[in-house]
Amino acid sequence: MSPDLGKCSRSLLTCEKSNFLNEQSRHEVHVSRHCFNYKISLLLPECEVLPVRVENVIHNFSSYYLVRDLPVYKFLEEKWLATVVKKGSFYALSCKTRIDEDNVCALLPSGQLILSLDKDTYEHLGLEGRPSLYSHKKVMRYVVSVDLTNKSLVPGTKRYQQVLLCLKERVMLRSDFLLTTCHPGADKDGALHNLLSQYTYEECRPTLHSQTLKNLFCPSLHHSDLRGKGLSCTPNQFLEWLGAVNLNISCDNSAVSFLSTYMCPEPRAPVSQSVLCTVTGLIPPKDVCRLLKELRCYFAEPNFAAWVSLTVHGFVDCPVSWGAAEHGFFKGGENLYNFVCFKNQDYWLYKATGSEDACPP
Amino acid sequence: MERVVLSRIPPDEKKLVGVRARHGKAAQQFTQAFLKSSIPRMSSDAIEDILLHRAVVLRYTRVKKTRGKKTKAKGLNAKERRELKVFQLKPEHQKYELFLPLHELWKQYVADLCNGLKPESNPQMIQQKLLKADFHGAVLTVVRSKCPSYVGTTGILVQELKHVFKIITKEDRLKTIPKRNSVFSVEMGDFITHIYGSRFELRSSERSAKKFKVKGNIDL
Repeated sequence: MSPDLGKCSRSLLTCEKSNFLNEQSRHEVHVSRHCFNYKISLLLPECEVLPVRVENVIHNFSSYYLVRDLPVYKFLEEKWLATVVKKGSFYALSCKTRIDEDNVCALLPSGQLILSLDKDTYEHLGLEGRPSLYSHKKVMRYVVSVDLTNKSLVPGTKRYQQVLLCLKERVMLRSDFLLTTCHPGADKDGALHNLLSQYTYEECRPTLHSQTLKNLFCPSLHHSDLRGKGLSCTPNQFLEWLGAVNLNISCDNSAVSFLSTYMCPEPRAPVSQSVLCTVTGLIPPKDVCRLLKELRCYFAEPNFAAWVSLTVHGFVDCPVSWGAAEHGFFKGGENLYNFVCFKNQDYWLYKATGSEDACPP
Repeated sequence: MERVVLSRIPPDEKKLVGVRARHGKAAQQFTQAFLKSSIPRMSSDAIEDILLHRAVVLRYTRVKKTRGKKTKAKGLNAKERRELKVFQLKPEHQKYELFLPLHELWKQYVADLCNGLKPESNPQMIQQKLLKADFHGAVLTVVRSKCPSYVGTTGILVQELKHVFKIITKEDRLKTIPKRNSVFSVEMGDFITHIYGSRFELRSSERSAKKFKVKGNIDL
């Protein structure tokens, strides 16, 4: 590891162990609270090609829209409120905006509009907000949160007029947006198309990329040993190894390699074939849930795999991580979670965040 | 006055003073001859002209000032002013319409000050003039503030104190807005200027004498 990375100020990792069949298991809650997912990477050891059923689920992921130059106040218009926002399950995130220097906007499925604004914009806008949690002595960033489903924001009320005036006339906030609704219903899609018709937009599909890795050393994990006291490696080691595999870094510690002397953590076992598959796009949590369900069924068929891993990365420039908790970038802006599913329906859940982030739930 | 001059001197006074009075033509001739000999260079017309315009003071005594003990007329002191609420607008006078004439006056004043506010006039010149100008009656709008709830407040400036502007809004409400940490915009015809409140924390009377620096930090 480079010495600069070693100095990384703070990162949080929480681990928990449970069983999918347990009624009190909160895996679905955790997935649904992480709203803006950028990338899913799936590692299936002892597997030659991506199973057809998993592939089908991925192909059925809802598509998302990339809208150019959409003003933020559009979300407040009556049509949008009625057709999209109030129905829930509508995700919008400004893209190509950086959380530490631009104005970033996100609309959560709960109807909360979150604006992360720099100081100058905040002073011009005139909407009450609070200073960012991750600011220094001089506050340079503010977070404004407007609940669009609130009673006081019904069109016609004074508050509604005020918010609309702020976003429309005082500061015309606009940016490119990624939108998605995870309703499969066609009528709703039609409504969204109508609303978007005056802007340039394109419909995008999540891109699937899968590859087969041969002769890979995999850490062997035992479902009872989450902390890595002999039967498995520690969570940090495992995540590091996953990252190395995702990035195609050689892990065989060959003496001649100048690039990497990284080695798969102990205990490990050679695996002849494994499938690494990544999906990128704006993926709503419901699709992640469906994929997770399918992975649980994966063990119903006979195979050699002891575990499969599902990693979900959030957008690094998203103003929120879990729920409405504030998210910052600082060095990497990572916010991700990882499911390791075992044959007996046990699962481990790792949740990791960078330095400018609240502790994952 | 002329009547007094022309009137005849009573005989007992004549005796007392010892002058011989002349009347009619003789007097006129005497006067002309006298004048000609004393101001020989001027024509008789010019002399008459001067005489017509100058008042002849016949008697002048200075009124002596009586130096007595005068009590200086004292104004109210600060406490009394506060108690009487001299500088506070009464609630029944807090009406936007009442201040519209003031705004019209102010518009005239600014137009006079800046020689008519033509579109081709130099903005820097206008700004220099406005720095020393009086803003009572101007329509002020808060365009930027550290406290977001002030942003967007518009109204006629009623009173300017050292640290605050008192503004009356269209909804007939008197609002007190601190100058610090806010930027105000003033609209005059086609011109809009911005006032950085943090640099403006002066009474308007003091401001007219203050020298403003060209450079400075305009961040809030």
